[in-house]
Amino acid sequence: MNIFLPIAEVSVNVIAIFSLSGVVGVLSGLFGVGGGFLMTPFLIFLGVPPTYAVANEANNILATSVSGSTTHYLKNTLDYKMGLMIVLGGIIGTLLGIWTFTYFKGTGKIDIVISLAYMYILAIIGTAMLVEGLGEIDKARKKIITKKKLHVHYWIHGLPLRMRFQKSKLYESAFTPIIIGLIVGFIAAIMGIGGAFILVPAMIYIIGMPTKLIPGTSLFVTIFVSVIVTFLHAFNYGSIDLILVTMLVLGSILGVQIGQKVGESIDSTGIKTLLALLLLLVGIAIAYDTFFAEKTTQEIIKINLNDLNPLSMFVKKLSLEAPILYGLFSIIFAITLGVSAAFIRKFLSNLRKQYFANKFKK
Amino acid sequence: MPELLKNLPSELKKNKLKTGIFVGLSAYWIIILIGTLIQFY
Repeated sequence: MNIFLPIAEVSVNVIAIFSLSGVVGVLSGLFGVGGGFLMTPFLIFLGVPPTYAVANEANNILATSVSGSTTHYLKNTLDYKMGLMIVLGGIIGTLLGIWTFTYFKGTGKIDIVISLAYMYILAIIGTAMLVEGLGEIDKARKKIITKKKLHVHYWIHGLPLRMRFQKSKLYESAFTPIIIGLIVGFIAAIMGIGGAFILVPAMIYIIGMPTKLIPGTSLFVTIFVSVIVTFLHAFNYGSIDLILVTMLVLGSILGVQIGQKVGESIDSTGIKTLLALLLLLVGIAIAYDTFFAEKTTQEIIKINLNDLNPLSMFVKKLSLEAPILYGLFSIIFAITLGVSAAFIRKFLSNLRKQYFANKFKK
Repeated sequence: MPELLKNLPSELKKNKLKTGIFVGLSAYWIIILIGTLIQFY
């Protein structure tokens, strides 16, 4: 079942997109990562041009991070002050990232830059996760327990402008979260990812935040970074395709909820090693596609607005005639879907608790 | 460190899975590094 995407101007399989975003959503829920570094390459493999894959995945990440962040807001596990400091750096990083994106787009090398960025990021995360996963399995087999240091001091902790973060119970330089945010924002703008895979380890090992505040704060930061990335991509390149975004958001929100539920009941050490292998396999596939696969020139489909169905026509017209409104609409659309998913989850969870409470009363 | 290097061949023989993963990862890294250089020059 194929559908024509009016903005990306390619036909894609609805079931493939929906199920892949669902599977990536399950992995995200299971491991607490955004999943953008898997979904963007998958979109590219499905025929979506890299520039469109990056922009639309950023919009999808906005919806999932709003959904996750609202859940953490309802549980009060969010450090706003720390989050806003990271966002400050994130804004600068995102602007630098979009500037770099524009530069490489101008030189006609943006597709190769995106592919290479993915290859390296997947290789780095895959290698690190594989080594850590194998080490954990080894330790579990030999029953070795290692005592980890609570907080290691790096040069970044010696920076000036120290301030108190009450919620995290930390007294740290404001530059630490700002620098981390800057790196995350830069990578997010170029690759269309949330950056949780950098942010989460940085929050644990560099900032030293309490574990319970990390997922919520990381998602809170991702909201702002992905809002900026989505808006700038929509406004500068008109590359947000609302039809593609809808499929991605529905699949991933559903997947994330399933993943979070499954994650509560299983030990993820073994699966972590499998995820590492999956990341490396995707990296190998991108490397093959970039270096060895025969280059085929993609046929540019010239479309007539009158040939499109009413919904596609509306999306195309809105993107062409009012790019600012279209960008804002994409953001509000993703936020609404994300918040709705969080409240539906809360409602269903309360319903379930009530059901079990009534059952035990009887 | 020298002790580790001295024991490396016997360690590699002992654990074939780890050796396989190490070789695979090294090959992958070499391919992407050389590929990148070729793409840009």
